[in-house]
Amino acid sequence: MSERHSTARGALAERDALEPDVYPVTQGRLARVRGSELWRSVFRHPSLDTPRGRALQSFSNVFLHIYPVKVPARVLRFRYSWRLGYIATVLFAILVTTGVYLMFFYTPSVSSAYGDMQQLRTGVGFGQLVRNVHRWSAHLMVIVVIVHMARVFYAGAYKRPRQFNWVLGLALLAITLGFSFTGYLLPWDQLSYWAVTVGTNLVSYVPLLGKVLRDVLIGGEQIGQTTLLRFYALHVAVLPVALAMLLMVHIWRVRKDGFAVRRGGTGAFAEGASVVDVAGDGDGDGDEPVVLSPDATTDASTTDDRRVRLLGVVERESVTAPERLTDDTVFTWPHLLVRHVVVGLGVCATALALGVAFAAPLRGIANPAETPEPAKAPWYFVGLQELLSRYDPLVAGILLPTGAFVALLALPYLDRNPATEARNRRVAIVIFTIVLAVALVLTVIGVFFRGPGWKFIPPWHHSYVEL
Amino acid sequence: MSMTRRNLLRTGWKIGTGFLTAIAGWTSWELLRPLAATSAGGKIKLGNSANFKPGTATYVREGRLWVANASGNLFALSQKCPHLGCRIPFCESSGRFECPCHGSVFDIGGEWIQGPSPRGMDRHPLTLDGDTLVVDTAKRIDGPDHGAAEHLTPAKGPSCAGKG
Repeated sequence: MSERHSTARGALAERDALEPDVYPVTQGRLARVRGSELWRSVFRHPSLDTPRGRALQSFSNVFLHIYPVKVPARVLRFRYSWRLGYIATVLFAILVTTGVYLMFFYTPSVSSAYGDMQQLRTGVGFGQLVRNVHRWSAHLMVIVVIVHMARVFYAGAYKRPRQFNWVLGLALLAITLGFSFTGYLLPWDQLSYWAVTVGTNLVSYVPLLGKVLRDVLIGGEQIGQTTLLRFYALHVAVLPVALAMLLMVHIWRVRKDGFAVRRGGTGAFAEGASVVDVAGDGDGDGDEPVVLSPDATTDASTTDDRRVRLLGVVERESVTAPERLTDDTVFTWPHLLVRHVVVGLGVCATALALGVAFAAPLRGIANPAETPEPAKAPWYFVGLQELLSRYDPLVAGILLPTGAFVALLALPYLDRNPATEARNRRVAIVIFTIVLAVALVLTVIGVFFRGPGWKFIPPWHHSYVEL
Repeated sequence: MSMTRRNLLRTGWKIGTGFLTAIAGWTSWELLRPLAATSAGGKIKLGNSANFKPGTATYVREGRLWVANASGNLFALSQKCPHLGCRIPFCESSGRFECPCHGSVFDIGGEWIQGPSPRGMDRHPLTLDGDTLVVDTAKRIDGPDHGAAEHLTPAKGPSCAGKG
């Protein structure tokens, strides 16, 4: 017993010896608890206000080690990325939390789903609020993900080496829309029933397979029990897993591909870094694979003010061995994390405020024998509906949207211009802005200016906005 | 390429993975594909054919369809708009079918008059069993193309669109 005790004390003393000057002196009850073996077995190191301690905060924490230990200082500026990816992630977390709460009170059955929604409104503590927050967060997430995509485009951040992360981002956008669409049906009211009827019938215009695909999606000819169950399974099981998996890879790639593009630089390399020119021919492209001596990889305190990091022995094209000034970066903890906590709280407060101020709509129970006027698809598909009310369904419903999505997917591979500055990529920016503006105008017309019979009715005459 | 043990295993893995993916895809598809028996309806007796007067459209809730009499010609018309699947109500004042979603308008015989619908209203076959009219909801015939004007008549009166 005494031998084991002394061994444990010896190990602690050895650990303390790593930071002899800054290790907290155990004084007081709380400090004694923090110094105990039990505490230290859970929290592997104390919270040290030293460079090493700050590095350990993110490096040795399973939840935080998705962050790098240090980030370029400019990442801290809000305007740098508007934190849009992070905001979307926070919204997803809110949706998962509120969604789990809602699952306790919901049965995916046509005979009880609508009653459950009413019960949630009137007979469950904070039920209405949680549903409101869930709904508005879902709408916000769609908006934020789209704005995130637009920002990445305008920053030119989809260019090499981040092409694949752009593709992953688009997949996440598609999943986000899938989430919102499948969730739309679950209240089983007139709004959800007919919006999903209109939305799923878009699929039937796919050449050859359209009707079969639509039937597989809704599980029959009519929207009914099978559809509700399918959408529920997709909404609470398939899509969350898919989104979580892709999101992990997406964030991982943000780290691995470098945080963002240096203003005025090219999209080729990360963090505004120049490549170590191993070949020494001055062209900066690193003609040979980077091979560093063991000293260079282990000893961070080099004699000059530069650091070199070996990321791995990989093909020449992928090597990003940054040569940068040490004062160019700051510790993730606390600088970036504090900002993330503040933004996260802001997002939660916004979602909560929306939930308190505006009730999520619940119309009458779904009635297949009566279409309400007007029957609009969910707002993010209303632009498509607007196109469909004017042009051939095959062109407007399938070829145009599919073409636009495929073009976006292929964008980083088609756009060979390495420049990231707006003035050097005017054509791409003009085309993208036009597409975005057209989509926005069509959506605004569909949401605000369309009434019964899809007639043009200005919102100041009568509002037919459906959210 | 010589078939070394490594190559054999590598090829085996690829073929095996491809085979498993195909099997997984096929079984998932079969699992999710709605069976014809569950999606199709059946035959519904509609009563005496003389009950359906010219110029009227009667809703048959059981079959989710309209039985319309266009100048003596009876049609069983699917309530579902061929455009995006909304239910098409019959407007008594105009004597036409008017879709509330995107404004497609059809004649009492289900022929397309205006709007984004790609064709006229879909039809179900009607048969006579003695005096009894029978509709087969399991079979659906695509509605007539644009331009068909066999039963087209002028509107009786004002349109219902916009009246809620």
